[in-house]
Amino acid sequence: MNRAILIAQREYMENVRTRGFWMGIMMLPVILLLLAVIPLVVEETREAKTYAVIDQSGWLHQAIQREINIDDLSEVLLAVVGKQQRRVPDMLMPLSVIEPPVDKHRAHDLARRIIEGPGAPVSLPSTYETYLISNDVRQWWSDESTADRATWSSRLSTRQFLLQPSSLTAPEMNEQIQAGSLFAYFIISPDPLTASAESRYVSNNLTDRDLLNWYTVYGDRLIRNARLERENIKAEVAERINTPLSFVGVKVTGTGSQETINRDDIARQWAPVAFVYLLWFSILINTQMLLTNTIEEKSNKLVEVLLSSVSPITLMTGKIAGIAATGLTIILTWATLGLAFFMIIPGVLNITLPIDFSSILADRILLGSFLVYFILGYLLYAALLVGLGSVCSTLKEAQNMMLPVQLIQMIPIFVMVPIGRDPNGLLAQILSYVPPLTPFVMMNRAAAPPSTFEYVVTTGLLVISIVLAMWVAAKIFRIGILMTGKRPGFMQILRLLRAPVADQPLGS
Amino acid sequence: MDFSIQLDKVCKSFGGHRVVNDMSIRIPEGSIYGFLGPNGAGKTTTIRIIMGILYPDSGSVSVLGVANPELVKDKLGYLPEEKGLYKKMKTLELISYFGQLKGMPKQAARHRASALLEEFGLAASAQEKCDTLSKGMGQKVQILATLIHDPELVVLDEPFSGLDPINVELVRQVILDLKQKGKTVIFSTHVMEQAEQICDYVLLVNHGRKLLDGTVAEVRQSNLQTISVEYTGNPEAFKLEGVTRVNDMGNRAEISIAANVDPQGILKTLLSRLNIRSFSIKEPTLHEVFVRTVKESEA
Repeated sequence: MNRAILIAQREYMENVRTRGFWMGIMMLPVILLLLAVIPLVVEETREAKTYAVIDQSGWLHQAIQREINIDDLSEVLLAVVGKQQRRVPDMLMPLSVIEPPVDKHRAHDLARRIIEGPGAPVSLPSTYETYLISNDVRQWWSDESTADRATWSSRLSTRQFLLQPSSLTAPEMNEQIQAGSLFAYFIISPDPLTASAESRYVSNNLTDRDLLNWYTVYGDRLIRNARLERENIKAEVAERINTPLSFVGVKVTGTGSQETINRDDIARQWAPVAFVYLLWFSILINTQMLLTNTIEEKSNKLVEVLLSSVSPITLMTGKIAGIAATGLTIILTWATLGLAFFMIIPGVLNITLPIDFSSILADRILLGSFLVYFILGYLLYAALLVGLGSVCSTLKEAQNMMLPVQLIQMIPIFVMVPIGRDPNGLLAQILSYVPPLTPFVMMNRAAAPPSTFEYVVTTGLLVISIVLAMWVAAKIFRIGILMTGKRPGFMQILRLLRAPVADQPLGS
Repeated sequence: MDFSIQLDKVCKSFGGHRVVNDMSIRIPEGSIYGFLGPNGAGKTTTIRIIMGILYPDSGSVSVLGVANPELVKDKLGYLPEEKGLYKKMKTLELISYFGQLKGMPKQAARHRASALLEEFGLAASAQEKCDTLSKGMGQKVQILATLIHDPELVVLDEPFSGLDPINVELVRQVILDLKQKGKTVIFSTHVMEQAEQICDYVLLVNHGRKLLDGTVAEVRQSNLQTISVEYTGNPEAFKLEGVTRVNDMGNRAEISIAANVDPQGILKTLLSRLNIRSFSIKEPTLHEVFVRTVKESEA
């Protein structure tokens, strides 16, 4: 047994000592990080699309601009209270002492009152609101240039869409579009309230419809309100009529009481899926590593020397353990990086993540079952692959034999979403009892934990299959590892199973 | 006499093909024992059975007094025909690793490894990775990894193949030194001259069967002797009882005679029938014994 540890140790050190290994490990987190950061950076640096409007109605464009203005100001108010920006305009200083979170609707109401004056219909003013309204924030806001405004919040519409005030005619604008200095322009029909009214959106870019959609939302709302008014229906009445039926998600807790479902609950429900994916990925790369390693050992001609010192079983055990340690190193590195990322980054960037990832990552049941299922799953697939690998002389040969194993390994990915949706459904239950799938499926179900009975029976089945698979693998390995030349056929491999497997044969 | 190894009627088949057939060998302790035979004769399989890497299908094995070689693995040293190194390991580490696999404590293994490297003039390469070594150096390292644990029995499978003359000399010296220390050495080869020079005993195998074994002198004598004559006359005269083969070149002939026949008698008869200008009687070389015995066994 000591020598198995010795072999495992050498195997582990050989892997872990190389620079390539650590670079490989870092690749995944770096790629994930880049995937998260690049879109943000691109968004940040993208230039605003310029647009112009020819308003034949004489009112709609102005009304839309006012709404946009209110939305922008409300974003600034939210940014100040939410402490999202480092700088706070002097004028809004008093707001910065309010503790977040701040109601979006209230900020919006406040912005409307500031812009439209005391007559606007809003909720009750607080001291701050009175201050803001009385202290001519309106004047300050309208004096701020577009560029200045953008420094107060990163979410202003002007970052994306910039109105180009102009008195140009349509043909002149067409020229500008062709020259690339204008992204698009709108022509609002003389009477937009009539159903048949035809307004136009002119642009050469037909795929990017962000501007059109954004502008339409404002126009739509205003037109609808204007039509309601024309029919003598009050806006509030219309709103009441339009209020949709809504169900609030509630779950039953362990004590039988009810509790409202929040986002963390939903994240927790789906967290196992992420773990299944990680589990699948970890087992896949580790067993691959083992296979490559076995074939390498065969090709570097050392196997015979090793077998003159230790039994094939010891050699196989050592190899499997060495690669397992390598795999655990990879996973623990990722887990640590992930935890560090979710714990440190929000602090550095001064943001609150909508979902508490670090608590999910540190969840004992999830993490515990992940580690257990990683080891068990790895052992089962390791036995299969080390047996197959030992009879092959080249990686190419091995890959052909691997195909059935790989197909089985694909199943957990296909059923991941259906099982996540119905963790205790028939599909999930049946697949839990198929040992090569047990680790993945049970991991998948961890959110709505299966019964203890199921845990015990499926794990028992899994352990029995591991012992069986190891026994078969040992027999094949013992002879296979010395074979050279043509890979043996299936029947020949079956014959290998008749050979004795004991560490000390011949009854001595 | 004590025997390091005794095989008794050992058989081994792979996929219905018998690779070792009814093999019985006794290898005396402290001797140098050569396994001779053409490629595919079953030498390596026999060696693997001795090393406990393969189990025989039938027959019995005794290595250093026990029936199961796995129990005495730590006293065996094995250099297989296909030799390799862990490329990324340092020379010293590699040699001491193999010592540890043979049960040596870590420190002892390191000390002995660096002593051996020193002895073989590789001290400067102790911290080099194996893939930076030249081929000759690599071969030395492989031999050191085989010998680090001071084995009782050393098995070298084709130790001379692919070596340059300097390394051939080195390996020969290693083998002789081991004998000096009372170790038993088995090596396989198909280069007869080497076996003839250093072996105490040889074994000749083909198609998994033992053809001959014994001391080098015994094996040479047991095989056909040769009379070489330069003559004029009728070659019909060579057709005598006891002559097994005649290689007649016109004026000269090589006459092979059976082991139990006296060459003097044959010569006398020939002198009476032919005009003989010169003659010589010689024992066959191991090479000739090898070629002839193998051919006869295939006939």
